[in-house]
Amino acid sequence: MVIQILLLCGLVIFSGLAILLKDLIKAALSLAVASLFLGIIFFSLAAPYAGVFEISVVAGLITVLFILTIALTKKGDEVNEARVVKLAFPIFFILFLLIDGLVMKSLLQKIPALPAGPEAGNFGEVLWRQRTFDLVAQVGVIFAGVLAVLALFRKKEEDKDE
Amino acid sequence: MVFLFILIPLLVAAFLPLVGKLSKKLLPDVLTNAALAFLLFNSFLLIKPIFNQGAIIQNLTWFGEKVNLQIALDGFNLFMLFTISLVSLCISLFSIDYLEHYGHKANFYALFLVMIAGMNGLVLVPDLFSVYLFLEVAAVASYALVAFGLGYDELEASFKYLMLSVVASAFTLLSITIIFGMTGSLSFQAVAQGLQDLNAKLVIGVCLAFFIMGFGLKAALVPFHAWLPDAHPSAPAPISAMLSGLLIKVSGIYALFRIIYSVIGISSALSQLLMALGTISIVVAALLALGQHDLKRMLAYSSISQVGYIVLGLALGTPLGIAGALFHLFNHAVAKGLLFLNSGSVQHITGTRNLDELGGLGKKVPITAGTNLVGALSIAGVPPLAGFWSKLLIIMALIQAREFGYALVAILASILTLWYYLLIQRKAFFGRLAEKWLKVKEAPFWMSAANILLALICILAGIFFTPIYKTWISPAAEALAKGIQQVLMWGL
Repeated sequence: MVIQILLLCGLVIFSGLAILLKDLIKAALSLAVASLFLGIIFFSLAAPYAGVFEISVVAGLITVLFILTIALTKKGDEVNEARVVKLAFPIFFILFLLIDGLVMKSLLQKIPALPAGPEAGNFGEVLWRQRTFDLVAQVGVIFAGVLAVLALFRKKEEDKDE
Repeated sequence: MVFLFILIPLLVAAFLPLVGKLSKKLLPDVLTNAALAFLLFNSFLLIKPIFNQGAIIQNLTWFGEKVNLQIALDGFNLFMLFTISLVSLCISLFSIDYLEHYGHKANFYALFLVMIAGMNGLVLVPDLFSVYLFLEVAAVASYALVAFGLGYDELEASFKYLMLSVVASAFTLLSITIIFGMTGSLSFQAVAQGLQDLNAKLVIGVCLAFFIMGFGLKAALVPFHAWLPDAHPSAPAPISAMLSGLLIKVSGIYALFRIIYSVIGISSALSQLLMALGTISIVVAALLALGQHDLKRMLAYSSISQVGYIVLGLALGTPLGIAGALFHLFNHAVAKGLLFLNSGSVQHITGTRNLDELGGLGKKVPITAGTNLVGALSIAGVPPLAGFWSKLLIIMALIQAREFGYALVAILASILTLWYYLLIQRKAFFGRLAEKWLKVKEAPFWMSAANILLALICILAGIFFTPIYKTWISPAAEALAKGIQQVLMWGL
C-alpha cells in the first residue's frame, strides 16, 4: 500500500513538473518519468497490457520524438506564456481532481465486469504474441511523427528542378 | 492481400524520403500514384470473394508462425476501402502539379500515404484499441499536412485541430478503457458478446456518450464542429479534399457507426439522439455556409451539413436509410473532394479564394468552372447526378419510417444547399469578368485531369446508379444492418 501511494505521488509530481518546467527537455524527461511510474502502477495492478503500452509508447518512443523535435528548435523560438495560462493549469487540475473523485467513485461501483480471466502472460508475451497489430500501429504513429517533424522543420528553401 | 492496404502505403512512405534525395519530383509522383492505383485495383479484386463469402478473415503468418495480425473484411469496410482508394488516387494526381509551388514533394507524399495507411488500418482492424491507434496514425499525419504550408494561418489551424482532436481521442480512449474493464477484452467479437451478457445499461450509456463526443468531434458534427471551418480552408487544397472527403468520414462516421452497429447495438433512444444531432448539423451548417465569403470556408461548412445527412440516414437504422447514407457518403467523398480540389485550381489561377473578388471566370477557365458546377449540383442533389439518388434514398427511408418531420427538414435543407452552391457559381464563374482576370489561364494538366475524373464519377455514378448500388452499396448496407450478428459470425 505504501509503495502504491509513493508511486501515485511520484506520478502526480512528475506530471505536474512536465507542465510547469520551462526547459522543454526537462519537461519531456519529466513526462517520461511520470509515464514510467504509471507503467509500474499498471503492472502492480495486474494490468500488463496497459503497462506495456504506457512504457513502450509514452515513456519510450514519444520521449525520443519530443527530444528530437526540441533539438530542432533554435534560440529565439521561445514563446512567452501568458499569465492566464499559468493560472489556468492549477484551476483545471483541482477541478479535474474534484470531478474525477466524485464521478468515478460513484461510477466505479456500478461498473459490472464479466468474470473473464485476467490478461495472461509476461511483458514479451503480451507485446509480441497478443497485441502485434498495435505494434504495427505504434510504428505508424511514430513514423507519422518523425515525418511530421521532417516536414515542419524543413528548410524553407525552394526545391531545385531535377 | 487485404493486409496490403496497410502495408503498401507504409512501405512506400518509408522509402519516399530516401527516394526524394535521388529525384525530387518524378519518382515521388510515380511511386505514390502507382501505390494508390494498386490499392484501387486491389479493392476491385476483393468484390467477388466478399460477394461469395460475406466476410474475409485473414490471419497473417511470419515464416509459418502465427503473429496475431488479424484483419476482418466485410461489405462495409470493403466499400470504405474502395472509396478511400478512389478519392485519394484522384487527389494525388491533382497534387502532381499543385505541389510544384510548395516543393518537398517526397515529404508531402510520405505523410499523405501514412494518413491513408492509418485510415485503411482503422477500417480493417476488428479491435477497439487498434481502432484508436490507427485513428492516431491518420490524425498525426493530418496535423502535419494541415500545417504543411508553414504560414501563420496553417500553423494556427493545425494547432486548433490538434487540441480539439486530442480531446476527441481522450474521450474515445476513456470509453474503450471502461469497456475493457467490463468485458476484459478489446476485440469486436468478444466485446459484443460480453456486453450482451452484462446488464450494464448505465455504464454503456456513459461509454456511448464518450464515443459520440469523441467520434462526433472527429466527424465535426454540430456542436463539435468548431475546428473544421478553420482547419480545412487553411490546409493545401489536396489535404482539404482529403480531410473533408475522407478523414472525417473514416475516423468519425465509420468508427462511430461500426462500433454502434457491430459492437454495442443500436437502440431506439440512441437512434433518435443521433438523428437529432444529424438534423441539427444539416440545418445549422447550411445556414452558416450561406454567410461565408471564402470559397473553401463555405465548402467546409457544407461538409458539416452533408455529414449530417449521412448521420441521419445511418442513425435511422432501416436498410434503405443505411444504404442511402452510405451512397451519400461515397457521393460526398467524390463531390467534396472535387470541389476542394477545384477551389485549389481557382486559387492557383487567381491567387484568391474570396468570392467577392472573383467573377466571370467561366469564360476564361471552362474546365474548372464546368467541373465545379457538376460537383456543386451533385452535392445539392440535382438529378441525374449521383447526389440526387443518395438524398432521395435517405428521404424515402425517412418517409417509410414515418419520420415526416426529419424528411421535411432534409428536403428544405437540400434547397438551402442548392442556394449556397448557386451563390458560388454566380459569384465566381458567372457574371461580368473583372479586368484583373482577363489574362488568367486554365489550371495545369494534372489538376484539370483530376477535376475531370472526379466530375465524371459524379455523373457516371448517377447514370449507372443500379450496378453501383448492387456492387458496392448493397453488401455494405447488409453488413451493417445485420448488427452484432455480423461480428459474431466472423468467428475470430
